[in-house]
Amino acid sequence: MSTTTTTPTTAGPTAARTTHQPLAVSYAVLDLRRQLRDKVGMFFIVALPAFLFFVFGMGDDEAYGSADVAMYVMVSMAAYGAVTATTTVAGAAATEQAMGWGRQVALTPLPALSFVLVKTAVAMSVAVVPIALIYVIGAVTGSSGNAVDWLATAAIVWLGSSLFAVYGLAMCLLFKGENAASVASGLIVILSFLGNVFTPMDGLMLDIGRLTPLYGYAGLARYPITEGHLPMDAGHDSVWLLLANVCAWTVIFAALAVWGLRRGRERV
Amino acid sequence: MTTPAIRATALNKTFRATDGTTVVAVEHVDLTVQPGEIVAFLGPNGAGKTTTVDMLLGLTSPTSGTIELYGATPHHAVVDGRVSAVLQTGGLLTDFTVRETIQAIAALHGRPDRVDTVIERTGLAPLTTRLVKACSGGEQQRLKFALALVPDPDLIILDEPTTGMDVAARQAFWDTMRADAETGRTIVFATHYLAEADAFADRTVLMADGRIVADGPTAEIRAAYGGRTVTLRPPSHVVDGQGIDEAWLDAVRAAVAPLGVTELEVASASLEAAFLALTSTTEAQEALR
Repeated sequence: MSTTTTTPTTAGPTAARTTHQPLAVSYAVLDLRRQLRDKVGMFFIVALPAFLFFVFGMGDDEAYGSADVAMYVMVSMAAYGAVTATTTVAGAAATEQAMGWGRQVALTPLPALSFVLVKTAVAMSVAVVPIALIYVIGAVTGSSGNAVDWLATAAIVWLGSSLFAVYGLAMCLLFKGENAASVASGLIVILSFLGNVFTPMDGLMLDIGRLTPLYGYAGLARYPITEGHLPMDAGHDSVWLLLANVCAWTVIFAALAVWGLRRGRERV
Repeated sequence: MTTPAIRATALNKTFRATDGTTVVAVEHVDLTVQPGEIVAFLGPNGAGKTTTVDMLLGLTSPTSGTIELYGATPHHAVVDGRVSAVLQTGGLLTDFTVRETIQAIAALHGRPDRVDTVIERTGLAPLTTRLVKACSGGEQQRLKFALALVPDPDLIILDEPTTGMDVAARQAFWDTMRADAETGRTIVFATHYLAEADAFADRTVLMADGRIVADGPTAEIRAAYGGRTVTLRPPSHVVDGQGIDEAWLDAVRAAVAPLGVTELEVASASLEAAFLALTSTTEAQEALR
């Protein structure tokens, strides 16, 4: 026994067991490594947005707001990558629960809330990968903007992507099955078009797009550059409209996730 | 008196089905298991074994009744690492390797020091770098057993641990279990393989329709409920192509006295007979008589 023990302990079959603290960080590192190894997932999270950046705007130095077109596209693609990352990881977490890993984890001392925090940390860490890579590519290929543009857009892209962790969770709780996560991240492509993330829209499509979940998030991420002015003189969005979009969809996704969770429990 | 490993009193569990009707999964289950016992939970599918196991582990709350594991709540016993389990359904991440799976669960238990011990104990050393999805059903069950050993529990509960294994894998699994039982661990396992209860458990608890229908030493259960079978070899002159002479059989039925029987074999019934007798409905038992 330990030499620092001052009170003698009685050994025997009923002696109290030493308690061990869960090492949540070690678990998160293993889980993160597993996510990063998923080649198909990482293709959609990292390679596809980097490629789209390359096609749509890399090196386009036409002035745009406080930056240039290249930087506008860079932020959009980083947002697409980050959102795909959080959707995929959160969706996979829901699927893992459904497949019984949650029961395995429930037999360890880790509290349920801590497990949610671990998963959130993993999702947000994976989201860093496309943002970092695309911003590095942007910097190397001459996207230009001021320091606020670089830092503020990156921060908004990263933090805002957490909304889509809730989306991924809700989708996979509602539509069970192994490919629910791929369906959820596939829908992100469509929502990105509607959300004015890929190609600039105008007219009726833009009006419809304003109601879709990626619109507010992408608009806010680019706000430091554009101050709300849309490409192709399609109009102007106030910061309040963008915030209202994000808040509304946060409530909707959270409500869907809670509903999915309840439904899943009732089934037992 | 030592504190029992398990003390469950008047457990009831009802579910509400999707059509609104109430389903009784477990009804008035009382169970006490002393430290060091090896107990089989035997019953057909739907008998309430998994629900009972889930309640013992704190994964499901009973509708009514109390459960104490080593005098504490199931949740406390799990947090203290005194109790762990091999669960029946799913439970593994297919894109972890075998070693990573054990490392992950060991991290959550705060016991990274146990990783190598459980790998050695369960014979998984040659498979550590293999992805879980590349493992056979038997290897995955072995891995789940390794996960259950991580906290070095006093009580281990196994729910259908050999499902999906071939005969050789099943044999190897029970050999590992037997070696582990010698260290004094309390073992409770649910199974519908009668032979496993027969070969491995000192005590058998039979469940049917959510109730415990028999509970005692495995040998006694077999004897008390299976009855005895008498096998006779009749003299050759009463046997022909049509079978055994009816008149002779009537005579056998009528008389206890020997009728030229040259060989008499009395065998105790298999546990299977006891199982069938206890788990089939009363009408079916009547029909058998």
